[in-house]
Amino acid sequence: MSNSILESESASGNNTADNTAGDTITNPAGSEPATTVMSMQQALNRALDEVLAENPKAVIFGEDCGRLGGVFRITDGLQARHGAQRVFDTPLAESGILGMSVGLAMAGFHPIPEVQFDGFAYPAINQMVCQIARMNYRSRGTMPMPITLRVPSFGGIRAPEHHGESLEALFAHVPGLKVVSPSNPHEAYHLLKYAATRPDPVIFMEPKSRYWQKGEVDAARHDAGGGSTTGAKVMREGRHLTLIAWGAMVARCLQVAELAAEDGIDIEVLDLRWLKPIDAEALAASVRKTRRAVVVHEAPLTSGLGAEVAQLITQSCFDTLRAPVERITGFDVPYPSGDLEDEYIPNIDRILFGIQRVLEYKRG
Amino acid sequence: MDTLLPVASGSAAGPLTADELRELYSLMVAVRHLDTSAIAWQRQGIIPGYAPELGQEAAQVGSGYAVDTTRDFAFPTYREMGVARTMGVDMVAYMSTHKATWHGGLYNPMESRLAPIQAVVAGSVLHAVGWAHGQTLDKKDGVALTYFGDGASSQGDVHEAMNFAAVMKAPVVFFVQNNGWAISVPTERQVAGGSVAARAAGYGMPALKIDGDDVVAVLEATRRAFAHARSGNGPVLIEAMTYRRGPHSTSDDPGRYRSLDEERDGAGTDPLERLRQRLLADGIADEAFFAEALAAAKVEEEQIRTGIQALGSRPGTEMFDLVFQETTPALQAQAANWREESEHV
Amino acid sequence: MAEISFPLPDLGEGLIEATVLEWLVSPGEQVERNQPLVEVETTKSAVELPSPQAGKVVRIYGGPGDKINVGEPLIVFEVPDNTAGIVGTVPKEEAPKRRVRLSAVLDED
Repeated sequence: MSNSILESESASGNNTADNTAGDTITNPAGSEPATTVMSMQQALNRALDEVLAENPKAVIFGEDCGRLGGVFRITDGLQARHGAQRVFDTPLAESGILGMSVGLAMAGFHPIPEVQFDGFAYPAINQMVCQIARMNYRSRGTMPMPITLRVPSFGGIRAPEHHGESLEALFAHVPGLKVVSPSNPHEAYHLLKYAATRPDPVIFMEPKSRYWQKGEVDAARHDAGGGSTTGAKVMREGRHLTLIAWGAMVARCLQVAELAAEDGIDIEVLDLRWLKPIDAEALAASVRKTRRAVVVHEAPLTSGLGAEVAQLITQSCFDTLRAPVERITGFDVPYPSGDLEDEYIPNIDRILFGIQRVLEYKRG
Repeated sequence: MDTLLPVASGSAAGPLTADELRELYSLMVAVRHLDTSAIAWQRQGIIPGYAPELGQEAAQVGSGYAVDTTRDFAFPTYREMGVARTMGVDMVAYMSTHKATWHGGLYNPMESRLAPIQAVVAGSVLHAVGWAHGQTLDKKDGVALTYFGDGASSQGDVHEAMNFAAVMKAPVVFFVQNNGWAISVPTERQVAGGSVAARAAGYGMPALKIDGDDVVAVLEATRRAFAHARSGNGPVLIEAMTYRRGPHSTSDDPGRYRSLDEERDGAGTDPLERLRQRLLADGIADEAFFAEALAAAKVEEEQIRTGIQALGSRPGTEMFDLVFQETTPALQAQAANWREESEHV
Repeated sequence: MAEISFPLPDLGEGLIEATVLEWLVSPGEQVERNQPLVEVETTKSAVELPSPQAGKVVRIYGGPGDKINVGEPLIVFEVPDNTAGIVGTVPKEEAPKRRVRLSAVLDED
């Protein structure tokens, strides 16, 4: 199985001449490729446009979503195309936005609210945890919560405080919420379209540092080489070690894999995509083959999602693992200001150090 | 709207002196010049971003001027540069937050009596109530001055803060700068009923709705509110009507949601120009004084810019050292790992 | 980089043209929204036109004395392809850099 056609652009991180693989569209069906090059911003915008067109009960709202088109232009033009009844600005109150989503869902709508930045999800946690996440349960399945909450997430853009945080472990810990994060435009398009048609609440974490990178989007098919929209995805095949990541860290791990290849180390990169539920089978399948695993995330180390991933791998691959699963993560510190951002986010060398520790690990 | 009883004692009731009026003008010029310069710094790559306060100089200088830094405490958002300057905060340390040096800025909030800059709207309004209640518990006479905007007034925390303060008769002055816009959303789509000040009645709290572009009106209102709160009468809400003449931030494009004509109509007369005309009419200042004030503002901006450009990154160890007063073994281990693997050499 | 062009706006009262008196900005200059761009004269009066856009000036049309019709190009700005969000910057894509090399003797059992 090879999905390299989708990721080669992310792998090199730019559109330089050595990136020819990204322009080669292999299509097993033999028909003309139906791909478009677009940024993640454009891919998300297109997905939302289609969701609104296909589902008359879908509504988009939040701060500055309407006339402005969102603080990252993700909802640009949607109000003009679908009307101010279906794409609207709210007053500035995240708890209000999420609480109102509950009522709209009860009334038969599919709310697609936006919280402008990761750090602004905190004021909405009460509605998210105490209400959205458990209304289906409380109502014995009679009040489903088809709410797709978009949260521009993670760091890397030198923004002010509360604009660079990674909340996936917080969300994933809440029973009743599902969590997903795309790593490139193709994933963004398909995962958002999928999430926005589910009957359950999904937190959709958009890696804001990847908004502007362009990539091929094949709107007709999600996983050309197999796999499932609900699971993880092998972005690069390898034999010696599996790097597991999501969001913006996938592109970095693909860079690391290329560098490791220079040293004769063949690395597999697994994009987890769904952070809840986690695709334990994909983790097992990959690590059974490579026997070594390093998980990379921007969020702090302690009680981060890396711990969950490491446990799932240990559970399924204890006998074949050559080394303990390594975690390369942000630190247990508040997300720092722009000047220190590169010190905080896992960089290439820190990931390579982690890989080296795993490679040279000796049992006993 | 004015539901606050007149204050008849102390300096709060007295008219402003000529010296005070001239000082207010000099402060407003310094703030205006630094604010517009900061946009230029961003365009020149000196800082990555900035939230301008163009048009809000009177609201910020006038209210900040009322603070007694020996006993009061102010709680800003991220757009109170004019308040910081008026309170005498080190402006290189203040502006460092916009250089992405340190969230919150590098000034000492305890010494300067200005809480750290923070980016969640309405985040610090309840803090002011707590600080003020501490004054009551300690039998001190400090007043908390808390800033927020028309957008933040939609947050539940603001309701909680006002209710708490009124229930506890906490010495808080809630200072709303209603600048007409929360990024792209105008006040009429933000504030039901059209007035934040009107909400005070529901809490049994006096309120002043004032012309926020008239620095004298702002200062007098804030002094009245401080006197009321300081005398144990509980909180006061001031809604200063002003206008965000610039973009929300240096990467905002207001052309997407308002026209130049709307801006002109909404903005009214420049608050700086209004004070200038008043000083001229009252014979308090002349062109030479205005020129001198501008020259001083330029010298000051240059010093601040030089300081900002000279400001290096904070050492990465501070990421770890400043999390707790009492650090943890896990954090120490992470710091050691960071030093080994990625400390820049 | 994309370009965004602004035509001479309708200056009201049915006027169809204006004469450039003086340009207050020049190509290459960074201007802010509302900053005076050009002084023009109509049959009614001389007015300063404010900039509708923050950005870098690429081209200006007409020198002093030239007439421009309403709706014809007046000024062109340069607009970056990647507009930053409301805060922060657009990350630069850089070639990956490394200090660390990997070494391992891998048994292939």
